Amino acid sequence: MDKLHKPKKVFVPGAISPQFVADSIAKHQSKVNIGAHAIFLGQIRADEKEEGFVTGIEYSAYEEMAEQTFHEIREDAFSKFDLICMHIYHSIGLVPTGEISLFVFVSSAHRRAAFEASEYIVEQIKTKVPIFGKELVGPAGEYIWKENK
Amino acid sequence: MSINILYFGMLAEISGQAKESFPGKENMTVKDLKEQLFEKYPQLREKKFKVAINQKIGDDGMIIPSSAEIALLPPFAGG
Repeated sequence: MDKLHKPKKVFVPGAISPQFVADSIAKHQSKVNIGAHAIFLGQIRADEKEEGFVTGIEYSAYEEMAEQTFHEIREDAFSKFDLICMHIYHSIGLVPTGEISLFVFVSSAHRRAAFEASEYIVEQIKTKVPIFGKELVGPAGEYIWKENK
Repeated sequence: MSINILYFGMLAEISGQAKESFPGKENMTVKDLKEQLFEKYPQLREKKFKVAINQKIGDDGMIIPSSAEIALLPPFAGG
């Protein structure tokens, strides 16, 4: 049976706060069929480049296509894994080093589906969603375009 | 026919704009369009990018429909 889910907006301006993550967890306490949550958080590293250390990443996107791709990834993951719910948030705009830019939150009755789905979703996001990132380096406003490996 | 081209990330820096209207012709393939863009923006030749036709990734052999929205997408960096 195909479950269709309403597309949800993924992009949030700036960093995703730890409070936002905590509030999301709290909202699931009423769903008593859930036995496992898996949460993936992507955080901005201060990589060292020739020009200096990375101070943040400025994200941009082909937003309409990106939102549609996120929706397809969601539907795909719901059909592959036995999940109760799924939330994906990604930053747009500037995210400073040490802050969170990606929040993937999957919930299921048992741990295995949650573990596997979270990894699958993150890998899909990295390869399929048209999001671009400028790694800002050093104090002089220099930058390098980031590329997922 | 005319096609709308959207540029993102480093590719927008090369073209100097986020979008432009480009004269196309009937039965033009993605490869034909790329060749014309390379003429106009030689630096594009060096760059890795994908082409989306109406928000779906296409390949070189695909025919561009009239009034399509074409997007040049540099390497993805989400996460």
